[in-house]
Amino acid sequence: MKKICYSLVLIFCLLALVACSSDGEETSSSGESGGKDGATTVWAWDPKFNIAALEMAEEYYDGEEKVELEIIENAQEDIIQKLNTGLSSGTMKGMPNIVLIEDYRAQSFLQSYPDAFFDISEYINPDDFAPYKIATTSLDGKQYGLPFDSGVTGLYVRTDYLEEAGYTVEDLTNITWQEYIEIGKEVKAKTGKDMLTLDPNNLGELRIMIQTAGAWYVEEDGTTPYIAENEALKKAFKIYKEMMDANIVKINSDWSQFVAAFNSGDVATVPTGNWITPSVKAEASQSGKWAVVPTPKLSVEDSVNASNLGGSSFYVLNIDGKEKAAKFLANTFGSNTEFYQELVTEIGAIGTYLPAAGGEAYNQPDEFFGGQKIIADFSEWTDSIKGVNYGMHTYAIDDILSVEMQNYLDGKDLETVLKDAQAQAEAQIK
Amino acid sequence: MSHLLRKNNIGWFFIIISVVAIGLFYFYPMVQALLLSFQSGMGANLQFVGLENYVRLLNDPTFIAALSNTVIYLLVQVPLMIVLALLFSVLLNDATLKFKGFFRTAIFLPCVTSLVAYSVIFKYLFGVDGLVNYFLVKFGLLSEAINWLADPLWAKVIIIMAITWRWTGYNMIFYLSALQNVDRSIYEAAKIDGASSFQQFFMITVPLLKPIILFTSITSTIGTLQIFDEVMNITNGGPGNATLSISQYIYFLSFKYTPDFGYAATVSYVIVVLIVILSIIQFRVAGDRK
Repeated sequence: MKKICYSLVLIFCLLALVACSSDGEETSSSGESGGKDGATTVWAWDPKFNIAALEMAEEYYDGEEKVELEIIENAQEDIIQKLNTGLSSGTMKGMPNIVLIEDYRAQSFLQSYPDAFFDISEYINPDDFAPYKIATTSLDGKQYGLPFDSGVTGLYVRTDYLEEAGYTVEDLTNITWQEYIEIGKEVKAKTGKDMLTLDPNNLGELRIMIQTAGAWYVEEDGTTPYIAENEALKKAFKIYKEMMDANIVKINSDWSQFVAAFNSGDVATVPTGNWITPSVKAEASQSGKWAVVPTPKLSVEDSVNASNLGGSSFYVLNIDGKEKAAKFLANTFGSNTEFYQELVTEIGAIGTYLPAAGGEAYNQPDEFFGGQKIIADFSEWTDSIKGVNYGMHTYAIDDILSVEMQNYLDGKDLETVLKDAQAQAEAQIK
Repeated sequence: MSHLLRKNNIGWFFIIISVVAIGLFYFYPMVQALLLSFQSGMGANLQFVGLENYVRLLNDPTFIAALSNTVIYLLVQVPLMIVLALLFSVLLNDATLKFKGFFRTAIFLPCVTSLVAYSVIFKYLFGVDGLVNYFLVKFGLLSEAINWLADPLWAKVIIIMAITWRWTGYNMIFYLSALQNVDRSIYEAAKIDGASSFQQFFMITVPLLKPIILFTSITSTIGTLQIFDEVMNITNGGPGNATLSISQYIYFLSFKYTPDFGYAATVSYVIVVLIVILSIIQFRVAGDRK
């Protein structure tokens, strides 16, 4: 009787093992195709922006092979999570053909999962795209990403509030952050409105500031932390504290509060990426009261009035259907000027495909911004953005810095703050 | 075949199924995770590094912040919740109480709400422009709105309040059902002997509920050590790392930063070790050593 029991156990274990191993072989030997019935699957976020752009691209596609997109909407965090779990398990099962990845994270994916992404160098001409995007989307001279939306920043300003405080749009054009704070104090005194809104857990503003000077959290190699000796970062920390101390900041704690702060008219300016335009325009009653001027610069050497925040690009996964997916991207986002004209008019998405910028749609005045040709302005600023190597650890260092920023705001000495952050980053990044 | 179908053997057969399933889905991943905790590297490029991850833990200020936050939650919240749950259950067990059903439902209801949904509501209640500030300012209790979630201490207090609100009712149900099995005559006898309500509570109720208290404190300890949803949704670990929990740090290491699954596995083993140690202590303190 015992024997029977044992043999039952054995059979069960064997069955389980067989099931596991056969599964493993299947997935590792053949690159499964991502989509059903030959459709090209895409993972992307933001239905009004990225997904709308993809749908429009599908209409514009005129290649030889028929392409049918299956766009799956996921939050950006979910895409990161799914990609990481999927790719690290070594199986390509269930992966999409095309995926949208934020530029800050691109290198981390490219280097963490070698061979997971398809080299599209032969399909597009990197020289057609803004140089600062190429640095983040390529690795070892191979082009993996198709540069998409530009994260070019601008300073969105409420002209009515400024007027009330005695300023014109020209007074805010091409200024430094120092001047910005002075104007902010005046605006607060005259109108009672805060100058800007910040989320203490999100150091986006700091990243905007240091990129104006061509600096980043890491050195050009993308891995060595560059914090303690980083003049631009030091200056940015000071500016951040001065803004807080000047009491011109309305604190927010998430995206919806951030948007509410300017939609409700509580702040006078919004320094951020151009992707905020649809959210600013969402409050139709404020039409004609806004203008966009170049991002303030840091008062350090080489700082320019242009920067970048966020921005993302398309990547093709190295699975069945990769050539088809690459051709699709090249045919639309990679070469179609006409498509970009409609993209900018209909969706307001500013790509980084340089030949498109000469088109007529880029020169349309926008009534919401008092007739300003904001797309043309943004495109012009895009050319001045300093390319930096974001490396792979932007968010890890961001978290270290946001803790140290709190310490700095609470009175810790700046030198020590940066030195401590450097030490932590060195310990964490290997 | 006939003796195979005897009672005992059928029992064995059913047990085998679950043993295999548990082995496959519980112990295999646990062993894999242990192996993973000795490896380090970006994403799929993992290499064996020996005990390096464990050494890194001790020198990692973020981990130490996460650990101490979690321990604070545990030390403040679990006793608070157990006491509250006991109190509520005794009150609701009172035979003379009216609308018992209503009160029981009201206190139990929070724990059927979704973790994320209630977290988001807490976040908005305690926002700068939130309802709490609105009323406190309106009734003159505060001169200026407090930014609860941007203050390291208040943010922790709010997380603790949130989990207490969510889980007290859950624990109360255990006590309530246990209390209903307690013979009324014991209390009657005590009353005749002149015991006050306090004495009845500490001399009769608490000792009788001891096994249930042990059970709830262990499950609550495990739950609090794994706290994730509330912190993620209410404060996202901020301000600074003032509310970061261990589980959230594991999530960050795996998905927010450049993925280092090896180190994340090491951190998660810390939770395992903590739970084992704390459970042993609780058994020793409260359990019968049989």
